[in-house]
Amino acid sequence: MARLVALKLLRLVLLMFIVTAAVFVLISVVPGDPAVAVLGSEATLAEYERVREELNLDDPIWERYASWLGDAVTGDLGNQLTNQAFTVVERIQQTFPVTLEIALLSMVIALLVSIPLGIFAALYQGRLFDRFSSGTAFAAIALPSFLLGLLLKFFFVDNDRQEISKNLVLVLILFVAAWLLWRALAQLVAKGSRKQNSSTDFSLAVVVVAVAVAFYLWWPDDFKSGGFARLTSDEGLLANLRDALLPALTIAITEIAVFMRLLRSDIASTLQEDFILAARTRGLSRQRILFRHALRPSSFSLITLAGVSFGRAIGGTVIVETVFKLPGMGTFIVNQGVNLSDYNVVLGGVVVFTTAFMLLNTGVDIAYNYLDPRIRRGRR
Amino acid sequence: MADAKPVMLLVGIAAFLAGIALVVVGTAVLTGSDALIRGILAILGIVVGYLGLNKLAKLIFGEKFDTGLWLAIFWFAIVVLAAVFADLLPLSESRDASKTILSGTPTLKRPDIFSANPLGTDRQALDILGGVIYGARVSLQVSLGALAIGIAAGGIIGVIAGYFSKKLDTVIGVITDSILSVPPLILLLVLVTVLEPSPLNMSLTLAAVGVPTYIRLARANTLVFAQREFVLAARAMGASRKRIVFRELVPNVALPLLSYAFIIVAVLIVAEASLSFLGIGIQRPEPTWGNMIAAGQDDFDRHPHLVFIPGGVMFLTVFALNRIGEKARELWDPRESKV
Repeated sequence: MARLVALKLLRLVLLMFIVTAAVFVLISVVPGDPAVAVLGSEATLAEYERVREELNLDDPIWERYASWLGDAVTGDLGNQLTNQAFTVVERIQQTFPVTLEIALLSMVIALLVSIPLGIFAALYQGRLFDRFSSGTAFAAIALPSFLLGLLLKFFFVDNDRQEISKNLVLVLILFVAAWLLWRALAQLVAKGSRKQNSSTDFSLAVVVVAVAVAFYLWWPDDFKSGGFARLTSDEGLLANLRDALLPALTIAITEIAVFMRLLRSDIASTLQEDFILAARTRGLSRQRILFRHALRPSSFSLITLAGVSFGRAIGGTVIVETVFKLPGMGTFIVNQGVNLSDYNVVLGGVVVFTTAFMLLNTGVDIAYNYLDPRIRRGRR
Repeated sequence: MADAKPVMLLVGIAAFLAGIALVVVGTAVLTGSDALIRGILAILGIVVGYLGLNKLAKLIFGEKFDTGLWLAIFWFAIVVLAAVFADLLPLSESRDASKTILSGTPTLKRPDIFSANPLGTDRQALDILGGVIYGARVSLQVSLGALAIGIAAGGIIGVIAGYFSKKLDTVIGVITDSILSVPPLILLLVLVTVLEPSPLNMSLTLAAVGVPTYIRLARANTLVFAQREFVLAARAMGASRKRIVFRELVPNVALPLLSYAFIIVAVLIVAEASLSFLGIGIQRPEPTWGNMIAAGQDDFDRHPHLVFIPGGVMFLTVFALNRIGEKARELWDPRESKV
């Protein structure tokens, strides 16, 4: 196990080296001159020469990369070229927590919502609920995140529509609860083997009602666009969650759709397996079969997918931060880096995002090895 | 139940027409009321209309008729045709703001089907319908270009990696691994920093980001096909390695790779629009779906059509492509059809 982790980490370092070198070369052939980025267009030739000297722009490219790498290893990613007062590391420390929080929150929401939905859709394959949820999921996948973000903003942020939207969502949740209750009651009245199902539906209905109440009590009326109450600020946790919720939801909706589709087909095929039939003949309860037998084989693909989509979420925050005008890593790179051709910022961004992305994928790989005995044996 | 058919036919037609009527009322007639109510009406209309059409189509073409798929093909065909023949259509000015200002077109006009600007105008009095259609042209150009470049390059490299020496495979593997270790959107940002955002450069950029995936797909397929008898037979007959690659392997690998084409185009359209939306893709005056949405987002509270029309067209196009792509994979991807 330790050897495996070491190998994976070594690979990560190697890839990081290749990626940064490639990006460095790419960015160095930019037609725009970094010295101009520092000075603006109204500098004298002498100043320009001085800045070129300072940034060592006349050295060969591999020497510059070597010195950048030397600094980067010690945790120094240079200064912002266009705003020399800030170091890139400082700015990343300010902005990355916002990005990370949104990505994490979106994953939590996605998993919490998609797992029950996926199980339900698989259980009632071909029925109305399955057709409706699968259709919605298919549509949600086709909705680009910036459009989804703008839609959420349109209905929930700072306008006269938000009260109507809030009530509509509430009605929808209560409708679902009523439907579940109706099913539970119908099964309670019915006789025989179907009777045991009612408790699942009943408890689900209670959960949904609780969600509705919580939703109505705590739904903040002051969603805003722009600005972000940090976890460390005096406004506290609720203000922080309020600001992170809609952006996270934007990312989560697409991921819910992706997870749900995967879980549905996964569980549906697991339910056809002989061991499920065996469990059923042993008289195990429906819940036990579902959660202990059917869900477990799906956990592998779920972990892989969660890793992939968490990486996607971290990248995707670039767009969501722009939509909601948040001071995160994404807006930082786009506004301060790409738009101003500031290669220190772009490189710094690549380093942080790529490290996060690779660590995650490596973690998933290792978890997979750890969890799935088939792979473990194959390796030895 | 022979006499039930005409009745159902009538029900289908009625539902279809009622749906269209609801959409028209929601979007064009009730221009005074709130956008939320109009939106709900329109969505309701679409659902009712679809159910009616579905019933109707199944009665006419048989139970197995896939209405959704045909609607998707229909929509995509409209988008392609409009994009191709955009110059021939009687569209109002959608690019040059100096012309619209001189002609006195009102700015921020609401959609009105029976006027010169059926889908309204933006802040600079530029026609939205024209923008959407020219935007479709840009989107299709960029994404089809990226698809062609990416699949050609990635496919051939993948076949080579799968068939030639182990050493070459390792080198290509390391390169694809390192490209794939950067989150796609971040890689796009880096490339956009370097390249001028012209349509051709956008195609190249998007192709570059996709290439590692095509390489992997092509390589995996090559490994399977290289074991097959017909390759062995070709080798036994003394065919050169070049011949085996281009005449035996590439044609076989091409089909499963191309079965992903529609889905890839959908992803590429979204990627291009995302970059335009961030303001680092193709710039005005050339309208794209992304930059139209970006321009409209600041006052779309009062003028929702600025965002929802290009957004809706993009959504429908991506949705249609996904739908067609799913079918294409079912038909042409051997791995998919086995299941």
